[in-house]
Amino acid sequence: MGNITLGRYIPLDSPIHKLDPRAKIGAMLLILIAIFFPAGWIGYAIIFAAVSYIIIRSRLSISFIWKSMRPMLIMLVFLLIINVLVIHTGVPLFSIGPLTVYSEAILQTLYIVVRLLLMIMITTCLTATTKPLDMTLGLEDLLKPFEKIGVPSHEIAMLISIALRFIPDLIDETNRIIKAQESRGVDLKEGKLMERIMAILSLIVPLFVSAFQRAEDLANAMEARGYQPGEKRTRYKVLKMKGADWALLLGAALVLAGMVWLAYFR
Amino acid sequence: MKAVEVKDLTFSYDQETNAVEGVTFSVEKGTYTTIIGHNGSGKSTVAKLITGLLEKKSGSIVIDGLELNEDNLRELRNRIGIVFQNPDNQFIGSTVRDDIAFGLENHCVEQSEMDGIIEEFAAKVRMSDYLNHEPTRLSGGQKQRVAIAGVLAMHPDIIVFDEATSMLDPQGKEEIKKLINELHHDRGLTILSITHDIEEVTAGDYVIAMNRGKVAVCGTPEELFRDTDRLKSIGLQLPFALQFEEELAKQGVKISRNITMEGLVEELCRLNSNM
Amino acid sequence: MPIKFEHVSHIYSDGTPFRYVALQDTNLEFREGAFTALIGQTGSGKSTLVQHINALLLPSEGTVYVMDREIKAGSEPKGLKSLRKDVGLVFQFPEYQLFEETVLKDVAFGPKNFGISQAEAEEKAKAALRLCGLSQEYDERSPLELSGGQKRRVAIAGILAMDPKVLVLDEPTAGLDPQGALSMMKLFRDLNQKHGKTIIMVTHDMEQVFSFCDEVVVMEDGRPKIQTTVQEFFRDSSLCEEMNILPPALIRLKDALKKNGFEIDEDVKDIRTLAKLTAKQVKHHG
Repeated sequence: MGNITLGRYIPLDSPIHKLDPRAKIGAMLLILIAIFFPAGWIGYAIIFAAVSYIIIRSRLSISFIWKSMRPMLIMLVFLLIINVLVIHTGVPLFSIGPLTVYSEAILQTLYIVVRLLLMIMITTCLTATTKPLDMTLGLEDLLKPFEKIGVPSHEIAMLISIALRFIPDLIDETNRIIKAQESRGVDLKEGKLMERIMAILSLIVPLFVSAFQRAEDLANAMEARGYQPGEKRTRYKVLKMKGADWALLLGAALVLAGMVWLAYFR
Repeated sequence: MKAVEVKDLTFSYDQETNAVEGVTFSVEKGTYTTIIGHNGSGKSTVAKLITGLLEKKSGSIVIDGLELNEDNLRELRNRIGIVFQNPDNQFIGSTVRDDIAFGLENHCVEQSEMDGIIEEFAAKVRMSDYLNHEPTRLSGGQKQRVAIAGVLAMHPDIIVFDEATSMLDPQGKEEIKKLINELHHDRGLTILSITHDIEEVTAGDYVIAMNRGKVAVCGTPEELFRDTDRLKSIGLQLPFALQFEEELAKQGVKISRNITMEGLVEELCRLNSNM
Repeated sequence: MPIKFEHVSHIYSDGTPFRYVALQDTNLEFREGAFTALIGQTGSGKSTLVQHINALLLPSEGTVYVMDREIKAGSEPKGLKSLRKDVGLVFQFPEYQLFEETVLKDVAFGPKNFGISQAEAEEKAKAALRLCGLSQEYDERSPLELSGGQKRRVAIAGILAMDPKVLVLDEPTAGLDPQGALSMMKLFRDLNQKHGKTIIMVTHDMEQVFSFCDEVVVMEDGRPKIQTTVQEFFRDSSLCEEMNILPPALIRLKDALKKNGFEIDEDVKDIRTLAKLTAKQVKHHG
């Protein structure tokens, strides 16, 4: 579990960590849209520079970003193979046996890969610098306008934050059940099909039983403390947009505008 | 003045057998009352009924002179708080601060006042240094202290502890017991504690012993322990001091029935120096 | 052959910022046939220690000897299955491991995993259930609809059905009422005395240690700090006080009486003898 970097929050003290989650989510969306404009290599260089600046300011280590991108390498190889097989335009570069590799195949692959990598860099930057709970608060606020068409933004946010709160507990619980069943001779790695099915059942059933117990306890605890879904309540954590937050959004909007210009008006 | 008055309370989980049947008792304001009984005797069900988490089948529950019903449930929840057994499953916020805030949010406390309230009650349970800690970094005892702070912030008159120390280690148990005693003595709160700890029972003002969904004995600890055979028949243990006195009686030494160790030692010393 | 720890350390998440040394340079021997209590504060390494005995956790350093097996740091353990059959580990709140449709099937699950036939596994399951005080009428019921105490008995029967030589119990009476806890402890005493099981029990309850166990190991900061007999450990309150443990009621009373001029023999370890001694002196004065 310790090796997963994608989507993980890294607690650091940086100006980016302190930004309003709504500004960060908004900026991320703007840049993601910007990536989809065919603005060419200059465009990508600009986006890359902007994102790099944010990463440096967020004090995330290069190796962390690299680790989160690494799973994409397999994707790159896969794309390359497909493109080499399919694309036959451009200058023929070299041949492997009966297969000739064209410049366009390489270029197309790079094009997609660069976009993918930029997207991952941006989302990693968001998730690594924003506490999951702040993220749900941000989402709640951003979804607020949709309440009129029946989106229960507060309930959604409450649901997500409780799920986030209990993930570590459930992981602990899972590990405990695994150990308990291993003590009863369950072998999760080997065995015949039937044995493996039983092994998995022996984990899932107890996990469900305990999760339901937990949910019941939790519902009681919430109700006892006066929580009533749908009722009006105040909010402890109020998000406030500051100068830096607007600056981030403005910057992201400028990048988007730049991409549009590069793509269509140059 | 009665803090809680329960009359002829009946409840059933499955419509067939009654988990709680004809339960009647009252709790005086400002007293420390314990409820004992073996697992499955209906104690926790009673706790959930009087805090409005379960709906009674028949009978009445009066809190602070107000009969509990659907309309005043929300208001009465301000007056009667409950701390549950499992420290993990009642920690709702992602940090101590957020968890105490949860109840305040529900009761529509102004955001600008929250920090002050949170800090005040965190201090009362000695958790001021942990305000930004996540639950995974807290011990069971600390989590229960946060739960108590969350309840206190609602300014209740009555707090129900539903086996709140049973999942804690000895250190955690001590912390919580001490805190409950403080709340009782210093703040004059009415305490209703569901427990298996016979020594806690001896320290309380009143005790309600439950058996098979009914109230078996209701009175002072001395009254409960007077009828030893009855106690044993409902599956309860004697406090150690009384066990010892029984053994002494077998040796032909009859002394008055002390329910605490201190009382026992004192009396024995007096007898021993009585030349 | 006993269970022996030689220079065993266990480090969680080594090489990460979450690195945590739970067990350090532990040397310890559990006597075969004994009922040993493992005590110490939360976080002192008790649970980590016991999980080495059936190789759920492997030592980061050092060697664990379990009967004729050797579990050495850095090498892949051999014969895991037979080890886990011989060492039955009952986790805290074991009722959360029940999953089968019927009590009998659940208890037979363990022995079946160790490769014996369905019929034989059910035989063993039945024997284990009866041993745990659950009569035949429970066999076909769903384990999920039993009471907490009964569920726990089913879970323990599930371990006993594997016929382990060593039984490791992690706070086996947590959450039970006093009556339920007492009858559970009597079951363990029977298993130890009549069925010859070596028992290692993690507990916080000194009354249980005092009344049921033979030996005590006190853990502190990932190391065994004291290993001695129960008799020796509770000779007076001093060792307990040193370890910040509340001594059993009988010892507290004995010490209080001694402090107040009663003459009481050191070895008194049951309530009757103490009452006799006290009565004699009170009568003498009266």
